[in-house]
Amino acid sequence: MTTLTQPRPVAAQRSSRFSRKQRIDTLLIIVLAIISLIVIFPVVYAIFTSFRPRGFGLSRDLFAGGFYLGHYEQLFSTIRFVRQIFNSLVMSLGGAVVTTVVAAMAGYSFARFNFRGRTLLLALFLGVLMLPGLTNLIPLYKIASDLQLRDTYAIMIIIYAAYGVPFGTWVMMGFFKSIPVALEEAAEVDGATPFQAFWRVVLPISAPGLIAVFITNFVYNWNDFLTALVMLSSTAMKTAMVGLFDFQNQLTGNNNELLIAACVLIMLPGIILFILFRNAFLRGMLEGALKG
Amino acid sequence: MRQKTIFPYLLILPALLIICLVSLYPALYSIFLSVNTFRRGERVFVGTRNFEQILASANFWDSLRLTAIYGVLFVLLTMIFAFILAVMLNRRLNYTGLFMTMIFVPWILSEVVTGVIFRWLFLPGYGLLQDLLSPLFGDIAFLGHPQGAMGVVIGATIWRTLAFAMLLILAGLQTIPGEVYEAGAIDGANGWQSFWSITWPLVRPTTLVIVLLLTLQAINATGLFLSITNGGPGRATEVLSVSMYREAIVFFNFGYGAALAVLMLLINIVLAAIYIRTMRSEVVA
Repeated sequence: MTTLTQPRPVAAQRSSRFSRKQRIDTLLIIVLAIISLIVIFPVVYAIFTSFRPRGFGLSRDLFAGGFYLGHYEQLFSTIRFVRQIFNSLVMSLGGAVVTTVVAAMAGYSFARFNFRGRTLLLALFLGVLMLPGLTNLIPLYKIASDLQLRDTYAIMIIIYAAYGVPFGTWVMMGFFKSIPVALEEAAEVDGATPFQAFWRVVLPISAPGLIAVFITNFVYNWNDFLTALVMLSSTAMKTAMVGLFDFQNQLTGNNNELLIAACVLIMLPGIILFILFRNAFLRGMLEGALKG
Repeated sequence: MRQKTIFPYLLILPALLIICLVSLYPALYSIFLSVNTFRRGERVFVGTRNFEQILASANFWDSLRLTAIYGVLFVLLTMIFAFILAVMLNRRLNYTGLFMTMIFVPWILSEVVTGVIFRWLFLPGYGLLQDLLSPLFGDIAFLGHPQGAMGVVIGATIWRTLAFAMLLILAGLQTIPGEVYEAGAIDGANGWQSFWSITWPLVRPTTLVIVLLLTLQAINATGLFLSITNGGPGRATEVLSVSMYREAIVFFNFGYGAALAVLMLLINIVLAAIYIRTMRSEVVA
């Protein structure tokens, strides 16, 4: 009889502890849900506000004024706004393309070859990673004005490319190290030069790494404000971020709903790309902070 | 590792050129600018006079003090919030992925977008947070009040950076094997005890690294200040970076601005050196 009853209290105790743990977990999920909603609320509130007619932002009812598309229509028919979005696209894409190509080449070299000066060069790349972009703005401004390169696509593309290269090289180096050398050796046995082995054999199977570097750099460039603010002064050449900043100074307190609509359009590409490529962003963020 | 030819150097060359041109050369050029002054396009060598002027100006010390206040409050509060969030998310409950995505959205927003949203939320007589929070702070108009304006910028920075700090702490927490906690539980440790005697000592090195990274970020933060307060009201939020931007780009005082940039670069280098040493000695080991 004792053998039959003995396990019972233990089981009872276990199940009560289990349900206590479950209760704590449910509570935690609720707390986390509330925190997440609070964190994302400003963005959601902004999206709702962008669909409200001018002046309705004051109302605390999220649906006041109905569903109004006028701000977006106005933005898309404003040549200045469309032009600045186009500028942002050209500069961000250009910078990301150059970064990806250049970083893939350097990363491959660091991953596969042991050459004289390798350690020193690698240290240089990582050292540059720690240089703040901010303190370089004044000399870059001076150099670009002296060379009359301000307000050009070229200077922005090369600056954005440079910002991305050190970290891109680091990511690509890690990626190439994970690919077996045997592939290139086989190609070279078949008579390919080292460059052909890199270009025709390694690069095509490195698409995931290349895409991660490209996408994250595109979003960083798209989001850049300070460099564009300093380097671009003509309305026709400004990026969407600088345009938004000007827009803010004209519209705050005057047509807040239109301003917020512009803000929502400009933040959209980043949010969509983040949701689609979340892991690339998170991995990049972790590697950037803990391995650099 | 493969045979040595000129090929590896050729592969690195474009990256090296671009880095030297856009990052290294300007850093050295700013040292050159900082010992000169520019009047109507004419360059005059002035030695250390820009630095003497900076150190003698009350504005510089005010800006340094504001940067310190901003940095300390931002780093401290971000770390506290991020730690709490990371500990909760580390239990890997249902919906963790969804919560992470939501918490990460502000991180992907640019400084200006964040600035526009916060200035709008705190607009006097209009903004939602202005209305909600002002009764708690003596009915002030936040953006018109020196400490209030700084508080808004700090709040905006925390909002944008929380996810970053949380992810790094989470990564640190996940390196702790579950068996350590089981061992602690067998020895009778309660939740609080196991946090202080197991979790904290193991994540302390990671925490130090994150604090350094956030501090670097705080020193260089500019865009949020420009778009939320533009240094105002008065000079109440004119931190070092904003003051540097104003001197050089708005008032064309290149020499003075570059000298400020060199001082800030020095602060950055010192912190970066501590960061690299910490990484080498604690995290890798």
